[in-house]
Amino acid sequence: MSRFWQYILALLFLSLITGILFVLRDVLETTLIALLYLIPLGIITARWGLVPGVASAVATFFAFNYFFIRPYYSLAVHRPTDVVILIIFLVVAIVISQLVGSAQAGLAAATARERETTQLYELSISLTGLQDDHTIAQILAKQIKAVTYSEYVELSVKGTQPFICKLPDDGEVDRLPDFVIPIEAARGTLGEIRIWRTSLDITSNEKRLLRTFASQGALALERAWLAQAESRARVLEESDQLKSVILSSVSHELRTPLSTIKAAASSLRSGEVNWDSPASTDLIAAIDDEADHLNMLVGNLLDMSRIESGVLKPKREWNILPEIIGSVLARMKNQTTEHKLDILVPENLPLIPVDYVQMEQVFTNLISNSLKYAPANTIVCIRAQVLDDMVHVQLRNQGPQVPPEDMDRIFDKFYRITAADRVTGTGLGLSICKGIIEAHGGRIWAENVPDGLAFNFTVPLTLDGVRSPILPMDTESE
Amino acid sequence: MSNTPHILIIDDEVQIQRALRTILTEKQFQVSTASRGEDGLALAAANLPDLIILDLGLPDMDGVEVCSRLREWTQTPIIILSVRDSERQKVAALDRGADDYLTKPFSIEELLARVRVALRHSAHMQGGQNKIVTAGPITVDLAWHLVKRGEEEVKLTGTEYKLLAYLASNRGRVLTHQSILTHVWGPADADHTEYLRVYMRQLRKKLESDPERPQYILTEPGIGYRFIADE
Repeated sequence: MSRFWQYILALLFLSLITGILFVLRDVLETTLIALLYLIPLGIITARWGLVPGVASAVATFFAFNYFFIRPYYSLAVHRPTDVVILIIFLVVAIVISQLVGSAQAGLAAATARERETTQLYELSISLTGLQDDHTIAQILAKQIKAVTYSEYVELSVKGTQPFICKLPDDGEVDRLPDFVIPIEAARGTLGEIRIWRTSLDITSNEKRLLRTFASQGALALERAWLAQAESRARVLEESDQLKSVILSSVSHELRTPLSTIKAAASSLRSGEVNWDSPASTDLIAAIDDEADHLNMLVGNLLDMSRIESGVLKPKREWNILPEIIGSVLARMKNQTTEHKLDILVPENLPLIPVDYVQMEQVFTNLISNSLKYAPANTIVCIRAQVLDDMVHVQLRNQGPQVPPEDMDRIFDKFYRITAADRVTGTGLGLSICKGIIEAHGGRIWAENVPDGLAFNFTVPLTLDGVRSPILPMDTESE
Repeated sequence: MSNTPHILIIDDEVQIQRALRTILTEKQFQVSTASRGEDGLALAAANLPDLIILDLGLPDMDGVEVCSRLREWTQTPIIILSVRDSERQKVAALDRGADDYLTKPFSIEELLARVRVALRHSAHMQGGQNKIVTAGPITVDLAWHLVKRGEEEVKLTGTEYKLLAYLASNRGRVLTHQSILTHVWGPADADHTEYLRVYMRQLRKKLESDPERPQYILTEPGIGYRFIADE
């Protein structure tokens, strides 16, 4: 309500009271009338504030004098007691007005402050923990729009990737903003808040609130950027660490076969070893074996980098699991002589949609892992079965068990339980398996079994939502 | 023209060229080398080699391209040399008419075996098909449509026989999934590798003594199959 209407209403109220008192003029004492007049004055001040209160007090003073102090209908005063009454009335009226008014103003200020505090609290609560500068800007704009009753709010944020956040999103105003405040932080200006609104100027209170909002926003933005920078730094640090692990592992793993090859080749070349002696055959065999070893290491590293960079896309086709296992075993027959292999793969297993080559790799890695750790003359057992929409393969050996805390980590790259220089290999085999199985939409895990360790993996039996096909078979004989 | 077979090596890696030249010359082959695809094509046209060893990664053109350009005018056997993990490329080259492939690093014995198979195969092609193919206990009589294991006749279904006959008449060569599917089932079924898997398994059950570890019908992972016949 505007000031003007407040005065009009106060005047009307006073006229009404004056009318009532006028009717009762002859039965009431002058002093009582003066006391009765104090009631509306108190109400007006409490309702509309100090200035209308004081103005009403003055107006009442004249009305009282005019209508109720003899001679009536004039401002002249004849009786000295009336003069005293009038003066006391004026003083009391103004003092009451002032007291009530200032209490009122204090209350209003307190309420406003409380509201501001609540809004700030809400803002800081909703900004807490946010790491994304876009979300922060969005929330800030929303809160500003709500507290300033703006038509349109625009936030431009500088930062490393500047952006503008608008509210409403599709809003567009072709005039200059009504109010602009910078988003300032210790390091400088982070951006700008622009506000458009149709009615009323922005009060100093609102400006103060907006500045507080802006500085809250600045803090949140800075915090988010710092957190981002920190996580980037952490990633870099981790990749640095990984690099050094790779380098130490690779240098160790590559140096060993290279040393063997170099030693064997140079001794053959030097002429120290007789070409026809058994020693030369051994040396040549060593060169050959170690070259294969090197090739395998390089292959593993390449596979791993392919898995890491996400280009390992399985070429999934309908395959027969026993065929894959068979071809792996055929290839590994020289390495499997010291162990007994027990293959329990049912004949009626449906076709499975996998990448043949990658699946071979999984079996090769799991089998060679078992062969490496399980003692000679123990059994390595491979079994497969269908569980729901998955095929579940288990490969168990009678090797040493793995401590439960290492159970998940053995699939991490370069992770080993034993010291790196006591086992051969890059520590990549199992993580390659994990990468391949997960690229197939399956899961791989290890578990301790009573007499050893078991690797398990599952692979979905559906390809693009389709189950394994039933083939049109011909049965007639030629 | 001398009797020693002439081998053309198209490979840009000097080390490989040197090693191959040394070993093949030692084995009484006549060897010429080219480092670029264009030079290789020109040499092939000028010298008419008996066999071409072709690297897929060439500086000026793709090995697959060289393969199809060669196949426009010659049936000379081509053996692909390639670094591991380029199955797609190897398959492309085999589908365009290459006969075999080797993965780098390779053992020289394996290369020599492949060279012998390829040269023999081309001799067969020129001298008319050998109608009886044997692989261990397995005998395939292509003229009489008769398959035996030892002395016993093996009953095959029509599709199984077509499959085996295609493998046997291309003994030693790598046959891609696509080429087998196209040849046995027809071009419409060229993508149905599952047919191949299932029929190949049945064939192995009927012919191999241990179908899980086949000796004669070998899987070339990611590429196709190869039938190993007796020398």
